[in-house]
Amino acid sequence: MDTMKLEIVTPHGLIFSGNVKSATFPGAEGEFGVLPEHASLVSLLEAGVIEIEKEDGTVDSIVIDSGYVKVDENKTLVVVEGAVPIVGETESDMAKAIKEAKELIKKASNSDFAIANVEAKVETAAKTRF
Amino acid sequence: MANLKEIKLQINSVKGTQKTTRAMKLVSQAKLKRAEELAKRSRIYAQKLDELVSEIAYEINHSKVGGSDSRFVQTDLAVRTVDIICVTADKGLCGGFNVSTLKTTLKLLREYKEKKVAVRLRVIGRKAIDFLKYNGIEMTDEVIGLSASPDYKQAAEFMDQSLMDFASGVTDRVILIYNGFKNMLTQEQRVIQLMPIDISTVEPRELKSSIEYEPEEQEELLNTLLRKYAEYSMYYGLLDSLAAEHSARMQAMDNATKNASERVNELTIAYNKARQESITTELIEIISGMEALK
Repeated sequence: MDTMKLEIVTPHGLIFSGNVKSATFPGAEGEFGVLPEHASLVSLLEAGVIEIEKEDGTVDSIVIDSGYVKVDENKTLVVVEGAVPIVGETESDMAKAIKEAKELIKKASNSDFAIANVEAKVETAAKTRF
Repeated sequence: MANLKEIKLQINSVKGTQKTTRAMKLVSQAKLKRAEELAKRSRIYAQKLDELVSEIAYEINHSKVGGSDSRFVQTDLAVRTVDIICVTADKGLCGGFNVSTLKTTLKLLREYKEKKVAVRLRVIGRKAIDFLKYNGIEMTDEVIGLSASPDYKQAAEFMDQSLMDFASGVTDRVILIYNGFKNMLTQEQRVIQLMPIDISTVEPRELKSSIEYEPEEQEELLNTLLRKYAEYSMYYGLLDSLAAEHSARMQAMDNATKNASERVNELTIAYNKARQESITTELIEIISGMEALK
């Protein structure tokens, strides 16, 4: 299966860089998925979760506050202000990441619905790992 | 003998100072490394943001008659009020680091005064605030603590106030002044115009397909992007200034350490001379005493 290059950058540095099978973004006008060979697109992103399906089939979740995504045929670039990847080797690392993510989302969004939505997604993402 | 004791005390005090300056140098060295690393990592964000802005700007330049309507890109505004953002360190003991930034700021203030342009001075850093207060220069904003530990959210909030005033027409230009990091030995005065941004010169880009925008309003996208751009420039300015501050302090403390060891050498020679002198005097006394007994 084809893959595309995905890069996520924040003012604090590169958060994610690599080849992925697909990615889902929290667009300003609704959530959307991107597969390789997607038509060029620039979209505003809202506070939410980016879900990345990596080459080996595993899914990474990254919580973001606000930013942009630029999709190209073979490259997707995400520029966001704040991002917290939900990853961790141990359960306590994971718990820490989840806590950070929740804080980020609470600061970024004032809609209870969005916050609840993100929290639910984060927790499911964490559960599938252990 | 009193003289000897005095010199000894002096030597000890200079040695104490030297210990402090050497420690401060080492601390700055470590902090400089961290600040440089932060700045380097964040630069990638600027590159990517640049990519996005230039693409959208190019599109707008071409598809719209007369270019963008956004106030952020109107470079021919009549300048009546200027926002000057001045960044210095919170602490001293770093050579001419703060002074040179203040000099540039004062020069700019004078220039605008001659042109009868109103200036709003927004200041970050205790050193600048103290200086300007002492000289009776009015400031619109005073922020302490941000230049010592730059934080993106705080920098963005600070910048947002300037951007809001600019967008609503209260100010016509936003300028950032700080002392930037050039290399380990030199700092460079940076005077950056944050707003308005000139987008008329962006390079065209090869695109395989036309870009779709979401939300469809390109102007809105450009506006928010340029806002982010200015916010980032502010944040980067703080990082750069911090790196420069540490390099300046490192240098100043290195010089101080060197001066201290020179002083210790001088004092040691003086001490030895004084000791020799007292020995000679004592010997003469003994010898003349013996001579007198003969």
